[in-house]
Amino acid sequence: MFSVNVLFYFFSAVLVFSAIMVIIASHSVFSLLFLVLSFLASAILLFILECEFLALIFIVVYVGAIAVLFLFAVMMLDAKLHNLTRNVFRYLPIGFLFAFGFLVPLLYQVFSNTKGNTHFFIRSRYVNWYDLIDSTSDVEVYSQILYSYFVLQFLIGGLILLVVLIGVVYMTNTYTSNKTVDQSTYKQLSVSSKFFY
Amino acid sequence: MVFSNLAELKTFNVFAEYFIAISALYILVVIVLITYNVHGLLVQKALSECIGLTLLLTCYLILNDDLLFNGGDFECFSILGFYKSVITDYFSFFTKFIVCLFAAFYFLVIADFLKEYRLTSFEYLLILLFAILGLMLLCSSNDLLTAYLAIELLSVSSYLLAGFRKTSSYSAEAGVKYLVTGAISSAFFLFGSSFMYAYSGSINLTDFWLIISNEGWFDINTNAGLLEPLFEIGLTFVVFSLFIKLALVPFHIWSLDVYEGSPTISTFFFAIIAKLSFFVFLVRLSYITASKYYEAWQFYAIVIALFSIFIGSFGGLRQRKLKTLLAYSSVSHMGYALLAFSVGSRFGTEMLLFYLTIYMLSGLGLWFVILATRVIRKRYTDKFSKELGDLILLKRSNPALAIAFTLTMFSIAGIPPLVGFFAKMGVFLSVLHAKYYFVGLLALLCSVVSTFYYIRIIKLLYFENLLVGKLYHPLISSKTILFSIVIFSLLFLFVNPALLYLTIYKTVLCSFGGDTLA
Repeated sequence: MFSVNVLFYFFSAVLVFSAIMVIIASHSVFSLLFLVLSFLASAILLFILECEFLALIFIVVYVGAIAVLFLFAVMMLDAKLHNLTRNVFRYLPIGFLFAFGFLVPLLYQVFSNTKGNTHFFIRSRYVNWYDLIDSTSDVEVYSQILYSYFVLQFLIGGLILLVVLIGVVYMTNTYTSNKTVDQSTYKQLSVSSKFFY
Repeated sequence: MVFSNLAELKTFNVFAEYFIAISALYILVVIVLITYNVHGLLVQKALSECIGLTLLLTCYLILNDDLLFNGGDFECFSILGFYKSVITDYFSFFTKFIVCLFAAFYFLVIADFLKEYRLTSFEYLLILLFAILGLMLLCSSNDLLTAYLAIELLSVSSYLLAGFRKTSSYSAEAGVKYLVTGAISSAFFLFGSSFMYAYSGSINLTDFWLIISNEGWFDINTNAGLLEPLFEIGLTFVVFSLFIKLALVPFHIWSLDVYEGSPTISTFFFAIIAKLSFFVFLVRLSYITASKYYEAWQFYAIVIALFSIFIGSFGGLRQRKLKTLLAYSSVSHMGYALLAFSVGSRFGTEMLLFYLTIYMLSGLGLWFVILATRVIRKRYTDKFSKELGDLILLKRSNPALAIAFTLTMFSIAGIPPLVGFFAKMGVFLSVLHAKYYFVGLLALLCSVVSTFYYIRIIKLLYFENLLVGKLYHPLISSKTILFSIVIFSLLFLFVNPALLYLTIYKTVLCSFGGDTLA
């Protein structure tokens, strides 16, 4: 169980690090990429806690859809957001207020749940009792239900995605201009940017 | 109403839908890999007729289903499959047959006009086929989730159909408007479903029926009385989302712009083909599962039906754009259908099915004429929108078509020597049967008003004070046979309405068994 805890601490550290980097990265694209990293780290934390389905949903929804959508929007807008970082100290108090507001109920939960327990929560040995009996994992249960009880609905969902795919290909395809969009290497390489400000 | 002879079998009872889905995928693969790559052909006409044939074969499949029609014996038997999420009974068989038949006619009709409207890419027909698959799934769904997915399949296809002409800003506007309204409707549906789930712990219509009818079983839960309004709230939300899809009056405003802006062939689909299945699900939901909450939906249904008839009749009076006029006409027709639905008796359901079948039949004739009167334009890039003026003095240029169009219009208005009269009369009879005399009177008066704009079109065809009308491209002779079949059946069904009526009577008797709701 020791190794599991090491992994947990490691990814928690990654999560905290990337969450800080989201705030202090100079360019908004960098901070979004760190946001993706923090989502991935929290998904791995959920994996370690054996909530596989939730972890996968985290990756699919947050990383796959929302963060990529943000990334595209920021890249397409090409906004000059550098000036925002200048005001960071003006926004610090309100940030601390929110952080404190979230921290207090969290700590309250932690200490109230372990009140009767002799172990402190850091030293507690994490034993999943279901594993010791007989278990099917989270994803397995969901997939068994999905592929047996809801197989028809699953297929209809696939057909909906197919229709959307056909529609998107038709709507975005212009048959008149067959030029491929290529990037100029020089322009790409000559961009200089600071990681922090 | 009750489920009569309900059985749950582990059978594969979506054979017709399976056939359509496989055909659609096959068409996709063949066209993308072979026809476009190797030959580079435009295949819209051949493909459209091929899909029409596929749908006719699907009709044949439905007629020959062994589960219900075993050796010609008449057995009332409802079969649940796929863990109770799909129901197979006479009701679903009849409605699926009707949808398939009219969709097949639709594909055969539009085959020649796709080039004229510059919808030559094969994706258009493929998306239409998927939309029809959604309609058929909705007809036999016995589950809120299945119904939701079927509606989504239909509406995602519909957004694409509305915005299919990329170069036209009207079409793009119609597509976006449809998308936004459809999203609101879906949100209503899911919100209502969550309430119904909170009450019953299930999303299955059969389970709803069991829970609501067997009070004693549910009394284990001590919170039953507390939670009971939840089901009514959820039901109201789901029903309202279906009303948005049907474009009934407080929710109809999107339909006017969408019908006007989208390509005429898509409007044809929205107005005629895509209406019946929603009523099927509405009947299943309200009559069977929620018959105890009769008052919860009946009042709203009657009020909304009356408003629809009123707005549909008066809104069209000053309308010059043909497609908007027909959108108003469609709103009022959906109002009559909803009136027959809201009566809540078996007779009302029969009249609902009868009315919708006749509506689809005469709509097919009407839209055929609108597609077929192709005004010769000076330039290729001229506008596509249809106006009433396009039909001026059709009598001079094509007397046969003018006569046929007049007959169709009289049928839609409900003038006696045509079957539309029986359809409208049936609705009023069912309303009077339930002793809603005032409602019947109001609907009748609005019906008289709406006759004005139908007859104004006939006046345009015949008695306009002009010397010359418009010039049209010649009719395609092979398609006039289809049109003749439609006109003939409009006349024939007036002489012998029992042919259709008895089938519907049998269907409803078999599917719903019990006598009345209240």
